Formats: sequence, structure tokens, C-alpha cells
Amino acid sequence: MLQNKSFVKRTRGGKITKVVREHYLRHDIYCGAPICKVCDTSQARLSPTPSTILIFDTNVVLNQIDLLENPAIDDVVVLSIVLEEVKNRNLSVYNRVRALCSNSLRKFFVFSNEHHKDTYVTEMSGESKNDRNDRAIRVAAQWYQSHLAGSARILLITNDKENKRKAIEEGISAETVESYVRSLSRPDLLDLLVQPASEDVNMEEVEDLRPSKRKIIYTEHKPMSEITSGLHRGIYHQGKLRVNRYNPFEAYVGSESIGDEIIIYGRTNMNRAFDGDIVAVELLPQDQWHEEKSLALADEEDEEEDVHLVPGSADDAPWTTAQPPGSAGVTESISSRPSGRVVGIIKRNWHSYCGSLEPMAMPAGSGGVAHALFASKDRRIPKIRIHTRQLENLLDKRIVVAVDSWDRLSRYPSGHYVRTIGQIGDRDTETEVVLIENDINTRPFSSQVLACLPPLPWSVSSEDLANSIRQDLRQLRVFSVDPPGCKDIDDALQCTSLPNGNYEVGVHIADVTNFVHSDTPLDDEASQRGTSVYLVERRIDMLPKPLTEDVCSLRADVERLAFSVIWEMTPEAEIISTRYTKSVIKSCAALSYIEAQARMDDSRLMDPLTTDLRNMNALAKIMRERRIQRGALTLASAEVKFQIDTETHDPLDIGMYQIREANQMVEEFMLAANVSVAEKILKHFPLCSLLRRHPTPTREMLEPLLRTAAAVGLNLDVSSSKALADSLDSAVADDPYFNKLIRILATRCMTQAVYFSSGDLSPPEYLHYGLAAPLYTHFTSPIRRYADVIVHRLLAASLGIQKLPAIFQDGTRLTSIADNLNYRHRNAQMASRASVELHTLIFFRKRPTDTEARIVRIRSNGFFVFVPKYGIEGPVYLTPRGDKEGGEWFVDEQQQKIRKMDGSMSYSVLQTVFIHLEIVEPQPNRPKLQLTLV
Amino acid sequence: MEYVSPEGLRLDGRRPMEMRQIRAEIGVVAKAAGSALFEMGNTKVIAAVYGPREVQNRSQQLNDSALVRCEYTMANFSTGDRMRKPKGDRRSTEISLVIRQTMEACIMTHLMPRSQIDIFVQVLQADGGTRSACINAASLALADAGIPMRDLVTSCSAGYLNSTPLLDLNYIEDSAGGADVTLGILPKLDKVTLLQMDAKLSVETFENVMQLAIEGCKAVATYIREVLLENTKQLEYRRGI
Amino acid sequence: MQCHHRHQHSLLSFIRPLSASSLLEMVGLSIGEKHFIQGGIAQDLRSDGRKRLTIRPIYVETGVISQANGSARVRMGATDVIACVKAELGRPNALQPDKGKVVVNVDCSPTAAPMFEGRGGEELSAELSVALQRCLLGGKSGSGAGIDLSSLVVVEGKICWDLYIDGLVVSSDGNLLDALGAAIKAALSNTGIPKVNVAAGASGDEQPEVDVSDEEFLQFDTSRVPVIVTLTKVGRHYIVDATSEEESQMCLAVSISINRQGHICGLTKRGGAGLDPSIILDMISVAKTVSEQLINTLDSHIAAAEAGEEES
Repeated sequence: MLQNKSFVKRTRGGKITKVVREHYLRHDIYCGAPICKVCDTSQARLSPTPSTILIFDTNVVLNQIDLLENPAIDDVVVLSIVLEEVKNRNLSVYNRVRALCSNSLRKFFVFSNEHHKDTYVTEMSGESKNDRNDRAIRVAAQWYQSHLAGSARILLITNDKENKRKAIEEGISAETVESYVRSLSRPDLLDLLVQPASEDVNMEEVEDLRPSKRKIIYTEHKPMSEITSGLHRGIYHQGKLRVNRYNPFEAYVGSESIGDEIIIYGRTNMNRAFDGDIVAVELLPQDQWHEEKSLALADEEDEEEDVHLVPGSADDAPWTTAQPPGSAGVTESISSRPSGRVVGIIKRNWHSYCGSLEPMAMPAGSGGVAHALFASKDRRIPKIRIHTRQLENLLDKRIVVAVDSWDRLSRYPSGHYVRTIGQIGDRDTETEVVLIENDINTRPFSSQVLACLPPLPWSVSSEDLANSIRQDLRQLRVFSVDPPGCKDIDDALQCTSLPNGNYEVGVHIADVTNFVHSDTPLDDEASQRGTSVYLVERRIDMLPKPLTEDVCSLRADVERLAFSVIWEMTPEAEIISTRYTKSVIKSCAALSYIEAQARMDDSRLMDPLTTDLRNMNALAKIMRERRIQRGALTLASAEVKFQIDTETHDPLDIGMYQIREANQMVEEFMLAANVSVAEKILKHFPLCSLLRRHPTPTREMLEPLLRTAAAVGLNLDVSSSKALADSLDSAVADDPYFNKLIRILATRCMTQAVYFSSGDLSPPEYLHYGLAAPLYTHFTSPIRRYADVIVHRLLAASLGIQKLPAIFQDGTRLTSIADNLNYRHRNAQMASRASVELHTLIFFRKRPTDTEARIVRIRSNGFFVFVPKYGIEGPVYLTPRGDKEGGEWFVDEQQQKIRKMDGSMSYSVLQTVFIHLEIVEPQPNRPKLQLTLV
Repeated sequence: MEYVSPEGLRLDGRRPMEMRQIRAEIGVVAKAAGSALFEMGNTKVIAAVYGPREVQNRSQQLNDSALVRCEYTMANFSTGDRMRKPKGDRRSTEISLVIRQTMEACIMTHLMPRSQIDIFVQVLQADGGTRSACINAASLALADAGIPMRDLVTSCSAGYLNSTPLLDLNYIEDSAGGADVTLGILPKLDKVTLLQMDAKLSVETFENVMQLAIEGCKAVATYIREVLLENTKQLEYRRGI
Repeated sequence: MQCHHRHQHSLLSFIRPLSASSLLEMVGLSIGEKHFIQGGIAQDLRSDGRKRLTIRPIYVETGVISQANGSARVRMGATDVIACVKAELGRPNALQPDKGKVVVNVDCSPTAAPMFEGRGGEELSAELSVALQRCLLGGKSGSGAGIDLSSLVVVEGKICWDLYIDGLVVSSDGNLLDALGAAIKAALSNTGIPKVNVAAGASGDEQPEVDVSDEEFLQFDTSRVPVIVTLTKVGRHYIVDATSEEESQMCLAVSISINRQGHICGLTKRGGAGLDPSIILDMISVAKTVSEQLINTLDSHIAAAEAGEEES
């Protein structure tokens, strides 16, 4: 254990301090090769008979990480100096390298050359830090060479000419990445190579030759020192760039130094920044501040408008160009918001994107290498230029591409191909794209996670029954009502008549926390996933299947563990008392909504189960009425349901989801249970409860609704949720769809409900606007939502059954958990919708249809329609695309009409029109659903 | 931040159970009754003992035991940023008190009534673990002064970062926000005289960390004993025995 | 405290006398011992065998405090002092925009003597600090300083280096001023100031951005830094490099700071007794001789120490 002292000087916040650290050199660092006779080989990772051992230098690791992750590259020694440099430059690449090193299948060994007594180098005077590090790499390579004495070839891979030359002089074999990959004779690997930036300069060949395109040259990014001084002085502002999903040429930077958000408009002003980057922004002079362009859409490139599902809330809304969550919404009038331009990127947020190559009229390129433009599915990402040798192969495939650089002379960023997902249009490929885009983990559960499951087959044991905290409720008549074919049953109901005329109503929820304990791999995995994702043809579970479908699921005729909320209620649905307990139940029937409804409707049936159902239904109706009185909103979301062919999994029919009384009954009791539990946990844990809130929509958010309503002569009172609910109820016309349409329009203006930790906000902010409840949480679906698992733990702690896990004491961790849950929830929703849209596309592929539609929004060149039968909406163009001016049509804002110049025809909002639905392919491999007027 | 790399090396190259290099020198201040210079890694501390001598302040005189006084000072230049007020600030007062109580426990004060023993500790360079270095230096200085003691007091610090117990934290690891346990023991008697901790630890982890600190203290004790033995040999040699 | 006059080439000086009583408390001597010391000095034979003008062997170690920009430890007999140089960026004085700033501060550690504990050593520390500051830094206008202050400036009027020179008395056996002077000289020659690159484009009166590089640095030119020689008068003779016992017997002491060129950079007289002006001139010439010897010894020791350090 020798030691040596090394000196490091650093500046810190304006003051100069000399920092001195000790640096111990060791004898006991081993080389990691199993063939070595000298070293202890217990930790050896390289293969027993390596032909070549590779050592990479820092720049190669940073730039070619995709190549390194390919299994063809093996037997690599990663030096600790390289790891440190990579960590300082790019944390995500560092994490990937670490993952490679800890992966037992790959032969990557980390050699701590900085602490090995033979390979440590001191800085020579006049040597820069980089030179010193390069020398350390060479010394380590040389040490390996002499240490392994010919039993394996050591190869240093570096693209730096100086380094390579010196290495060869010192007797180490060195090659560039390209020559090494070529020597492996694997042409597919060559595609993964990233070309150094200098070779990208001659890109004129690939420029779009359309005459309307000018060459865009971007301004230089300012150097970091200028940016920091500018931030200090307040001329620059820092914030995260958020690109408008529906108009990629518009972006927002939320800045704390200005109270408002800064708009960045136009590609030049965005200056090569990506969505999610942390950027430094300079405000433009006030006279250039951008005014809202409410009607026209993006005009720099013809952005395509797709048919999509009706949005469920303002967060999804595609209409207005400015809907970033949390900010004031759009106003039609000229209220200019601060505009600016990006002057520098503080932190890049580049990762891999999936999409496909743009079909090119003539692929440019030379010698087998073709340049192509990659368009990501996520519209916020600009097109990326890649080159590939497999152009024909890839044109019809969905691929994953990573971004490397964006030179200021280049219109597009440069990237490289990572991997192929599959054929475009193929359902599985597209589904995988949806999952990748929404960051959904579909990997099978690891063995450590599965090890946390109880031994199967599982059944309620005598210990469970003997446990005093658990009440034995097996004798109660408990039943469940769920969608048909549902296997993960997480709730069961009970309605027992009491001798005093009241009812004992119980909601029994699957006791998931009995099996999922905190700080286990199973819990960590579930916490990461956050929620189960429901795609059209499959479900991606948060918990392993044995738990979701068997052990936790409250199936009929088996004993199961549950967490129960039991009320004593009067026949007028007044709650006399509430109690909470863990229990053992035995469900007597697992009904579907249709079955339950049929039973209730069939007056001949008088059996106890049906009586219970009817009693519950009556109670539920009273509770619902009370809720509506208080101001709960019933919004219509156009949920679309597919009938899937069991064999091909293709959609057979598509229709709107039917809501029956049975649905509403179950919903009502679930809401009541959630509210009761929220009250209980908040009482015990006012600072660390996980609740759910729905922020009240602001007046600006409701503008579009009010405008449309006014155009049809409807006066909506939006002063409170109750007022709005009443207005919506009274919005009736002859048209049966009218009310539904208005409700759909209202839904779009709503904000999303979010999870939060009670310690982060004040009690008035806990309000759930849509349910008109002062407090709300999620308790009733722990099998498919992690938030409910957390609430179960809180409830158990408040009852004194279990200790609250330590994580609840850490406020920041709780907030980040809530944020993760919101993120996952949103992604799951978007994935579901994308899956539905995908299946819609597949459904209409061979079925051009004519059907009725209603106009919901007027635009300068046409209007948006909503098709009630299928629950989709999309654009109908009156003037041909590309014709930016209205042409012969002009818009009457006041009346929300679009009129022909000569006055012969007009269309107004909410009017019925007939349209033709068809799949067309304007570009090869790019099917679109098109709506045209009949 | 990674304080222990996956390869098992800390920021300065030690393994979690290893202490920094220790060095000790006796007799640096010729005028004092006993003095010692103690280095733990980059932390350098000088301790000087004056006494037993007449009590300066009559009112404080104890009739049946010696009065032990201690002062801890840090040099202006000892920390990275230059300190403005080296004496009299709260931390120095607290550490002076701690050292005094620790040494008082081991000095056989009843053998020297109505006298005063002054222990002065001066920190030349601080790099984490100053408290421990001061106590070790003071032990050595007392031994050099020939003051009768029950046992040496040795001290070492240990902490818990990245879910690993670490021995002998340096300044960076100390400021990382993990727990920091300073322990002082009488090695032969196997008794703990000083125990301080900040931040929080679960009880099981604390046991491990404390055990590790005890091992560290024992290692320091072995080294101190060697140094004292060597020093005595030198003295004998110079005396011509 | 600011009643001191700056001395460049003047002879008589007028300083508040050092309270000899505080020194006396440190050392208790019997009458016999006092006679012995005085008699010995009269016969040019001091208690430790030295002649009157012989200095004790000096040991110099540089780079003892690795966290500082420069440091040195000097031992003269039992006197042990450490000097340490730290450099920080700051604003120059408005009156002297082209010069950096140097601050000398001495601290007496209680390890040196029990009376230094708490605030006991403050008087002595203050006196030593001021004396050293005067010797090294010259007059109010900054002229004639031992250290070239204009080499410390980075951006005129805005950024300059502030040097903080800290001395610490670890063990005291007399002649503190000489030892501290030597230590400071050694520390300065060990000092490396990092090179600063000024970011271009700063305007007006804003603070320009500076980038401090890790590697390059300026070494100090210490050829003009003076050393201090203290002549202590005991009885009718004066001695150089007095131990604390001898100092307790002194009637007065004159400390002269001389640089390599033989120029006098500062003068301090301590003690209550009066002095014949002609004797002062005599003392100065003696000091000059001694100082040459001292500077040579010191320089060779410093060079050896630096070389030794670079090897290790």
C-alpha cells in the first residue's frame, strides 16, 4: 500500500483555492485476464483465450458508444482514466459504459490504472491535461503488453492521429476505429460508426432542392464563459426548451428570471436546440415580439396533419398553438409574450429516436454510402441526416437513430443508425415504436424480481387467517363487476342489509402490499414502471403475471387477501361510520358489466345477489346525484373500443364505448372509497400523503369552449364547476349529439389530474375540480397503478398495522416519485391512444367508409370534424394543401363559420357533414387516413 | 457522486477499510514538557504539553487533583480557504472541551494535586479527521512529557457513504453529507472515552461503522506504541546506556 | 497603533518599546544565572558556546503545507516557525491600481509558550506582524518594497493578486523576528502563483472573467526580499541571534532588515535604554556583515530544500 501525493488546483466560484488530494498507489490491482499467471484471477472478466484485447481512448468511447454496445466488440479493457473523463463529459454515455462493464455477458474489464503503482503517470511540466491522459493510456497499454507477454495481442483504438503515432513509436499496436471495424469484416457494424464532424461539411448534395428552401445558416453558439457571465448579468436567461408538439417551429423556455415563458419562434431562432435541452436565451427587442397566430399552422414546411383521436384534456389538445401546461393559455388578441432566441446550449438532451427514413427521389451519396434524412415519429425532433449502406433495405422500415452533432452550416443535425425495429405499418413494429416513444419498459421481469414472488401455487394459509390484523370476511357475499374478459380483478363489492334498516357497504381491494414489500427489487421495478399500460391488443403489466392474474386478483370462488373499506350507510346513502381493515374474502361471482346490468334489469330475478346489486345501484344513484349537486362534471370522452379478431389480432369492428348503469355504480363506490381513504391518510400524515388533484382550468383555457358555444347561441357559465356542470346539463338541442359534442369540447379545456405529495402544496390546492372533491387519491387499483400501492402503505401505517417505510420521510424523494408517476401515467395514456390510432389505421385499410361527422373547429383552409361513430377527429381541407391563402374561402371568427367568397356555400361549427374515410398513401410506405367531403 | 467506485476504490485510491498513512514525531517543541507532531494523511497537528506546574489562576486550583486545560487552535492557513479568526470561534471551543474531557479521563490526575497540566494543540493542515489527529497527538505529547496515564487514548473516524462503511474519512468524504463517527478508545482497557456522530444512520449500520472505527483506533494504538518505543530507544542510546 | 514611522534610510527610530516584562515571565532566571550570561557575553563566550556574532545553525524546509501556494519551516536552535503564503484574487487599492496587495500576519501558537493561550499572544503577534510588514513592504507609497507589487497585478484597476503571508510561531527560543524573516523569504521562493488568462471583451467597469489555469505559474523573484538581523545589547556588547534567556537580559535590541544588495530596508529598535547615535552606525555595519553571511546560508539552504523537494 504505497502512497504518493498529487496536487490539483481548482477555482471555485470566483475564488482561487488550491486543492490537494492524496493519491494512493496500490500493489493489489489486477489485470483481469484469466490466463495471467501473476495476478489474482478471481475477478477476471476477459475471456480465457482472447485473441485481441482492445483498449479504447476517451473520444472513441464518447462518440462510438453504439458500436461498443454491439456484441461483436468484446474483450475490452476500460481504463479508469477513460471512465473518469467520460463521466465528466457525458453522464449518459458513462452510465451506458458502466452498464456494459457490469453486464456479466460482455467481457469488459475496468482496470484502475490511476491507482496502479506501475501505470500511474505524473504530469510533466508544460504538458496539458489531455496529453497527460493520453500518455497514461499509452503507458497502461504498454504495461498490459509486457504483463501478458505475448499471450494476447493488445490493440489501442484511437482516432487521434498524434496519439496513434506516439503509440506506434512506443511499440504499441494502434488503429483507428474504422480500420479495426473493417478488419472484422462486418459491414453492418460500419453503419454504426459515427463519422467525425469534419467529414460532414460537404453536404450540399443532400440539401433539399425544393426552390422554396433557403439555406439556413445558424449563428454560432456562444462559448460557455460568455454564457455564464451573461446569466450573471441578466442578459441571458436559462431554462429548459419545450417544443410545441403540434408546431415544431414553436418552442417555449420557462425562465425564472422572467416570470413568464419565452417563446422561440422559427428554426433560426431555435438555433439547433432540441426539445429538453437546457438553453441560454436572449430576448429579442420588444418590437419583434411574436404575436399569436391563432389560425394558420406552421408554414415553413408543410407539416402533415394526421387524423387522431379526440383529445381527452387540454394537455393533449392540438388546437391552439400555445398550450404548455401551467401557463396562461391562448388569447386571440394581440398580447405579445416575450420572444427570444437561443444563443447557447448549456446541456444537451440527445438520445435515440425512432422513426423512418424519408423517401427520397434520388438518394445522393457516393460509393455505396447513401445519405438519407430520418424523420422521427416525435414531431418535436427535427429531421436527422444519416448515412447508411443499406438504404434500400431501410426505406420501408422503422429504425432507431441517435444524434451526434449539428454543425451550424448544416440544415439538419447528423446522426447515425442504431438498429431496425421492423416493417413500417406492421402492427407489432408500430406498437414497439409507440412503446419506445413513450418510454415504456416491456422487458420481462428479471430473475431478482421474480424471486420476490411468493411460492406458487399460492393460497390463503392458516397464518394469514390467524393474523389478528386480518378480519375473516369469507362469509360475506362479495362480488366483482368488471369489463368482460378481465383477469386482473382488483376490486370487489359487498352490500349487506343490516337489521336496523341500514346497509353495510364494503369495497374490498386486492391486498397487493402484502406481497410487494418496499425496498425489494419487485417494488423498485413497479415503482419505475408506475402503471400498467393498456394497448389495444395487449397489456403491459406493472407487476408480474402470477400476482396480477392469480395471487392478488379477487377471482370468484377462491379465498383471497384484501384491504377493505366498509361503511355503514342509511338507505339515503348517508355515511354513518367508516372502518378500514385488512381482510380475507371469498368472492362469489365475477360479473361483467353487461351481466350485472342484465341481472338488475331482469325483474324476474330475486336472488340475494341480484337484490344486493339493485340496492347498491340505488345507493349509487343517490350518491351520484349528490355529487352532481356539488358540482362534479360529467364529461364525455370519446372512448373507442375495438373488437379484435382472435386469430389475426386485427380489428374487426370499432365503436364507441357504451356506459351503462352498472359502470356508473361501480365507479361511484370506487370514488367514495378513494375519498374516504384520502381523508384518513391525510389526517394521519398531513405532510407525506400521496393525493391526486385536478387544477381548476383558467378562464383562458376555457376560451375556445366559450367561443364555440357563443357561436351557436349557447351561454355557458364557467364561474365554478357546479355552474359549468349545470350549464352543460342545460345545453340541449334537437340534435342528440349536441350535448355530447359540447361536453367533448369542454373536456379538451380541462387540465390533467396529477399526483402530488401533500407536503408540497397547501390544502386549498388539493381540490379535484372535476369530481368537486376537496380531497382525492387513488386507492382502488393497486394491481395496475403504483400510486395505489403507496396509498395502501400509508393506510396500513395510519391503522398501525405496518410501519411506514423510510422513504416517506424524505420529502424530495416523495415529490420525485409523484413526478415519475405523473410522467408514466401520461405516457401510458399517450401510448394507449397511439395504439388505438394505429389500430384505427389498420381497420380502415381495406374499408373506405362514408359516414356522418360534425364540424368542431374552423380553420383558414378547412375545418376539423369529429366522427361520433368511431370517436376520431381529423382535418377536412376545402382548399388543396399547399395553398396557404384561404383561396375562395374566408373565415368569420365571430360566427365561427367558413364561407365561400361568392357566398354560395358556408359551413359553421357543429354542423353535420358527410365525409368519406379512406386510407391513402401519398408517399410510399406512409399510409394516412384521409377525410374528404362527400 | 461516486465515493466508492464499483471496483472498490475510494476517491484517493484506498479501499474502504484502509486508513490513510500515519506519521508521528516526538519532541518537536523543545521548550515544552512534551510535544508531538501527528499526521494522518494530509492532516498535520502539533501538540505540546506544559506541566505539571503551578496553577496560574489560584481560584481554579483543585486540592486533590491536577487541573487539566486544553486549547485547540487552527492556523490561518490550515484550511483551503484562509480563516479569518483562528481562535475563539465556537468549533474551536467545542473541540478544546472535547479533547480536555477525553484526556482528563486517562490522566491520573489524583497523583498531582494542586497543579496544572496544559495541553495545546495546533492544527497546521486540516484535511478531515482533525479531531482524531488532535487526540492522538495529545496522547503522544503526554507520554513524551512523562505524565502518568492509565492508558493511551487513540482516536479514529469512520463514515458511511454509497452504502459502504468507510474508515478514516478525508475532507471530501466528510463533506459528502453521510454519517461521520469519531471514536476515542483506551486500547488496552478496551473502553470508549469519546463518541460523536453527525447525520443519521440506522442502528444496524451504526454498529458496523462503530466496529470499523474501533479497529482503526486499535491500529493507531499499535503505531503509537511503536513510535514511543523507538523514541525511548533513542533516548537510551543518547544517554549512553 | 498607527503611530509608527516608516524608515528607509533614517537612523533613529522611535517605536513603542516591547514590553520586556512579558518576555521576562517566560524565563525565570536566578541572579547567578544572570551574571553567568552577562559575563559570558562580555568574554565573547555564550552559554551554548557561540561567539557573539555567530548565528545558530539554520534548518530550512520548504513546501511543508501542501495546501498553500508556498510555505517554509525554519528552525534556529529551538525556535521553530512556519511561514505560509496564500494567494487570492481581489480588487486592487483604488489609490494604487497597478499594484497587488500583500498582508503579513503572525500568530503565536500556544504550543510555543503557555502564556500565548487565548489572547495572551496577541500583543507579541501584532508587534511581529507590523515589524515584518514594514520590512518587506516598504513605504506607504509602496516604493522600495522587497516584493515587487506590480508583478501581482492581473488587470489594472480591477483584478490583482492578494498575497496573505501567515507566520506561525510553533516554538519560541528567542530571535523570532529573524526566524520569521527567513521563513518568509523561503516561503516566497517556494511560492507559485497560477497563471491567469483574462477573458477578452469585458467592458466598462464590470469585473472581467478570468480563467485560472492549473498548470502554468509564476515563480516569485525573491532576490530583493530582505532578511532581518537582530542585534541585542546585553551589558556593553551586542550579540546576534539571542536565545530567550539572553533576551531576558537585554537592555535594548535593534532589528535591521537588509537585502542582498546591502541596502537597508527597515529598522526597529526595542527596549527602554537609550543609545548613542554613533553606536547605531556601528551596529548597522556589523549587521551588514552578518546579514551577508546569513543571506548566503539561507539561500543555499533554500536551494537545497527546493531541489530536495522536487526530487521527492
